[in-house]
Amino acid sequence: MQNPFEVIPAEIYDVKQESPLIRTLSLKPEKPIEFQTGQFMELTIPGVGEAPFTPSTSHFVKDKMDITIMKTGFMTEYVHQAKVGDKVGLRGPFGTNYPLDKFEGKDLLILGGGCGLAPLRSLFLTLLDEVDRYRSITFLAGSKSPKDCIYKDAAAGWKKHPTVKFHRAVDVVPEGEKWDEDVGVVTVLLKKSEIDPANNPAVVCGPPVMMKFGTMDLLKMGYKEENIYLSMEKKMYCGHGQCRHCVMGEYYACKHGPVFPYAQIKDEEAIWE
Amino acid sequence: MLIKEQALLSFFEKCADGSVGAYSEVIVPILTEGQDGQTRLAPFSKEKTCILDGFRSVDPTKILYYMPREKVLPVETSNKKRIVAGVKACDVKAMQVLDTALAGEDFVDPVYQAWREDTVLISTDCSSTAPTCHCTILGGTPYAESGFDLNLSKLGDSYIIQTGSEKGEAFLKFLEKNADVQKSNDADVKAVQDNRKKMADQVAAQNKDLERSDNYPNLRKDMDKEWPVASETCVGCGACTNICPTCYCLILNDETKAQQFVKVRGYDSCQWHGYARVAGGDSPRPKMSQRFRNRYLCKFLFMQSNFNQLGCTGCGRCTEACAGNIDFRKVVKRIVDGVEMAVVD
Repeated sequence: MQNPFEVIPAEIYDVKQESPLIRTLSLKPEKPIEFQTGQFMELTIPGVGEAPFTPSTSHFVKDKMDITIMKTGFMTEYVHQAKVGDKVGLRGPFGTNYPLDKFEGKDLLILGGGCGLAPLRSLFLTLLDEVDRYRSITFLAGSKSPKDCIYKDAAAGWKKHPTVKFHRAVDVVPEGEKWDEDVGVVTVLLKKSEIDPANNPAVVCGPPVMMKFGTMDLLKMGYKEENIYLSMEKKMYCGHGQCRHCVMGEYYACKHGPVFPYAQIKDEEAIWE
Repeated sequence: MLIKEQALLSFFEKCADGSVGAYSEVIVPILTEGQDGQTRLAPFSKEKTCILDGFRSVDPTKILYYMPREKVLPVETSNKKRIVAGVKACDVKAMQVLDTALAGEDFVDPVYQAWREDTVLISTDCSSTAPTCHCTILGGTPYAESGFDLNLSKLGDSYIIQTGSEKGEAFLKFLEKNADVQKSNDADVKAVQDNRKKMADQVAAQNKDLERSDNYPNLRKDMDKEWPVASETCVGCGACTNICPTCYCLILNDETKAQQFVKVRGYDSCQWHGYARVAGGDSPRPKMSQRFRNRYLCKFLFMQSNFNQLGCTGCGRCTEACAGNIDFRKVVKRIVDGVEMAVVD
């Protein structure tokens, strides 16, 4: 049996600063990595450590992988010092994926904020690769301020698809910054949705507080508990349901998640923390 | 079958000095100085007192198979054949929990598995108890019924031998070749049964006030009321989890220096604040009482649902090691049965 701690070496071929705190590493792994959108990888910075991140590219792309990472702690500090040509390591993929079959022929709503947009970008790009499978895709994205918005260049292209809607909101517009889209927490964008909530799926990913209120709002609109898919990113350390850092009651976020239908975990404790 | 204790110890000595080959290391409980028959796991040495019966050692058997710090990538196993003897029933049961977790159907820790394969596990019946022993509350017994390669039951100056696996059968043949193994008779077997019953009664007797129901879902209740009281003297040192024979939470460190990736696993503890902390600083269990409670939920509910086995085998080490003098048994009884009782000794 293969060593579960085996690492696939990868080279950084591009680095893109998305916002002051967020950057995207473009990686070329030594061998192609098959993953399903929603699954996560363990990224190793040699000699420093590893941490879980979700790819932000379509799962149809196998020989390259983008990972969008916010500078927020010890390990990510080093991620933000990485340069083109540096070697890193990847383990995975791990966990559950977004159930694309259940989205087929439906009006899909995607609600995301901040760094939660990284896994959603992977989902969104995967959906765009087969855009005709879905009746419509509505992507609602929130950020703190205009300069914190990520994937600025790509967004214009996304809006061109006739069945795709892409709306953005920022919490605040500081003086001197320009913004001609919505202002407010991301859930204000929900009023733009014309989707029938009772029979369609929704995906939520973002900071804990956004996920909590996003989910509550979706429920109020009439979305069903089993149709709301949450990316419960916890401290997924080993990826195999072994080390227990990511447990949510009886579930391991790394093995039974990170993508959970809300109905499955609603009774577990502290899911929003 | 039966072997004189002296013959067995001579055999261990020959293994340890390399004169019989095959097994290069023999690890046994060695008596510590001046502490009521307490033993530590250490290599066999004729200068030291080896106590194969008695009660469980201070350290859990886990530390011989799942070390506090161990390289897991690349795997560098020594292929050293070992004998680990004097393992008690609580530890044998704990090894079964670890087997499910670390060498189960969908995950195999290569280093743990290698140690497991390269080691003959010899259990022995308990002949005395530690004050914290309480296997009988958990439906256990002070003698192992399965999970060992070889089991030894003391009778006078001899041990009655029972095999429990193919590896154990092969080991017994090897033992017969290298030591004087004799036939046992029905009277011996009867005497072992009597001893076992006596020991089980003794463990039950010392826990008679701590018997409880197995209504473990009650542990989930009263997050804000009962648990802060129960954990009042807990300082969150993590001794309980590190010394627990079934705790295996790990932290994976990257120690790569050159081209080859190097991963080293070490023990982690759910009692520590940084354990479940995520990027940005949030933690699902920021309070000590929540982390304290998590250990009980893990042992009695999560391991039961994930492994179909309780995570507590009643060895009592967590109580013995606790810096806050918290008695694990009393916490469980207090909360599961709703009995008002002090949990600190």
